[in-house]
Amino acid sequence: MEKPVVVYEPFRAGLPPMREYLRSLWSRRTFIAEFSRSELREQNYGSVFGQLWLILNPLLLSAVYFLLIYVIGGSSDANRFGHLTANLFLFYLIANSLTGGVKAITSGQRLILNTSFPRVMLPISATIIALFKFMPTLIVFAIIHAVIGLPYSWQMLWAIPILLIALIMALGMAILISCINVYFRDISSMLPYLTRSLLYLSPILYEATNVSDRIKTLEIANPIFFLLDSWSRVVVHAQAPSMNGLMHATAWALFLFISGTYFFLSRERDFAVRL
Amino acid sequence: MISLSDFKHEHSPHSVAVSVKDLGLTYTTSIDKKPTLKARLKTLGRGKKHTRIVRALNDVSIDVHYGTVLGIIGSNGAGKSSLMRVISGIVPPTQGRVEVYGSVSTLLALGVGFNPSMTGRDNVYLGGLAAGMSREEIDSNFDAIADFSELGEAIDAPMRTYSSGMYARLAFSVAAVVEPDILIIDEALSTGDAKFKEKSLNRIKELRTADRALILVSHALATIEDICNEVVWLNKGKLMMRGNPSEVIAAYREFVDARKSASSDEDV
Repeated sequence: MEKPVVVYEPFRAGLPPMREYLRSLWSRRTFIAEFSRSELREQNYGSVFGQLWLILNPLLLSAVYFLLIYVIGGSSDANRFGHLTANLFLFYLIANSLTGGVKAITSGQRLILNTSFPRVMLPISATIIALFKFMPTLIVFAIIHAVIGLPYSWQMLWAIPILLIALIMALGMAILISCINVYFRDISSMLPYLTRSLLYLSPILYEATNVSDRIKTLEIANPIFFLLDSWSRVVVHAQAPSMNGLMHATAWALFLFISGTYFFLSRERDFAVRL
Repeated sequence: MISLSDFKHEHSPHSVAVSVKDLGLTYTTSIDKKPTLKARLKTLGRGKKHTRIVRALNDVSIDVHYGTVLGIIGSNGAGKSSLMRVISGIVPPTQGRVEVYGSVSTLLALGVGFNPSMTGRDNVYLGGLAAGMSREEIDSNFDAIADFSELGEAIDAPMRTYSSGMYARLAFSVAAVVEPDILIIDEALSTGDAKFKEKSLNRIKELRTADRALILVSHALATIEDICNEVVWLNKGKLMMRGNPSEVIAAYREFVDARKSASSDEDV
């Protein structure tokens, strides 16, 4: 008797064989890229500017805050404007990953019910879309940085590891929330309030140095507080980030990524019957 | 749409391709339309069950050998699609065991993975990649797919401009180029006009070789009788009969007719 190639047995919560899972995920990398690309195009389909919106969005967003700070606020503090745009753009990477991720599984119903593939592909593609949207904002920020005359230094290379941490965190959040939404659909309605709270609780409209020590202790519970603080120090002030801040962000990113992936992978075979 | 599992497999003709043993599948569906936190909280502490159990498959055992074309028939809700989903690994079984000895390609619904705002050409790639093909494989098969779909220049138009027939034709054409060890087709043969139906049927017939197993789910009994060399009849999740196509189909027809007359009697 030959050995069976695949065996399907009753579902038990537990991780699938990881080597095969990862191999199968890796073999679908072109599909993930193509799928993300087509989803992104779909979002701007039928609009006059089409894909140009990827650049227009951050430009308009920074124009609004320019109006707020320079024109209405009457301030001429370049740091403040730089800080706001830099952190807002990074915040949108996380927020877009969350909003894309929350419906990744529930809206992929047709694909899930008719095709067998590693389901984690869907939240991954949500994060890739968020990354696609983030990349043009980096260019926009680089221009703002030059125009308003912010300082440069070698410390700015810290931006690379910080971005990596942000990506792992965004991915972990997308995976976790897509899985939660299968079981509690309410989370997608609650999400706008969650991201809005996250926006105000994080150093975006204000700088972390303006926050009292007591509040700062509480902000340990905010996964992106010290991430955004580090980002601002590096790309706006051209200083080195605080090591404590980096460790905090890394710990949160790894925690969200590992717990989210474990939760997702151990349950993904159950998704098809829950949709 | 189609999905090709990643495993390449050597096998001898007439060996077992799929072995289904004592398969049971129950769905626990919530009575509420969507499982929300509110619904959970409302029933919390009252001990009220907010789920309902549906038995989709009950003790089904089937062996499919290479070289076989197995037809699956049965009325709506008989568990045909559920069985196909378990064999292709989409839904885990509740009881029993399914062993698959080869690469499986499933064609359970047409055009899954297609994005209507992209052109037909883009969707050939999207659908093909979703099926587990590589970009190179699609490149080399692209002309064949475009020819088979008979779309002509419309292949470069966005798919939301397609008629449903055109949509289905392109979807079937993408599926038809995959050459798996085991091919599962659920109700996908009745696409397009009579001419295209004939063409897709011929394509299925071409795929009938000694080293391949085909499983077809269909309500088109004449087609099943024409193509298959074995038929399984499912009813309410149970295996009613299996064997020679004409015998099983005759029994099924008799069963359906009997039920029909019984229900028409009730009306009187």
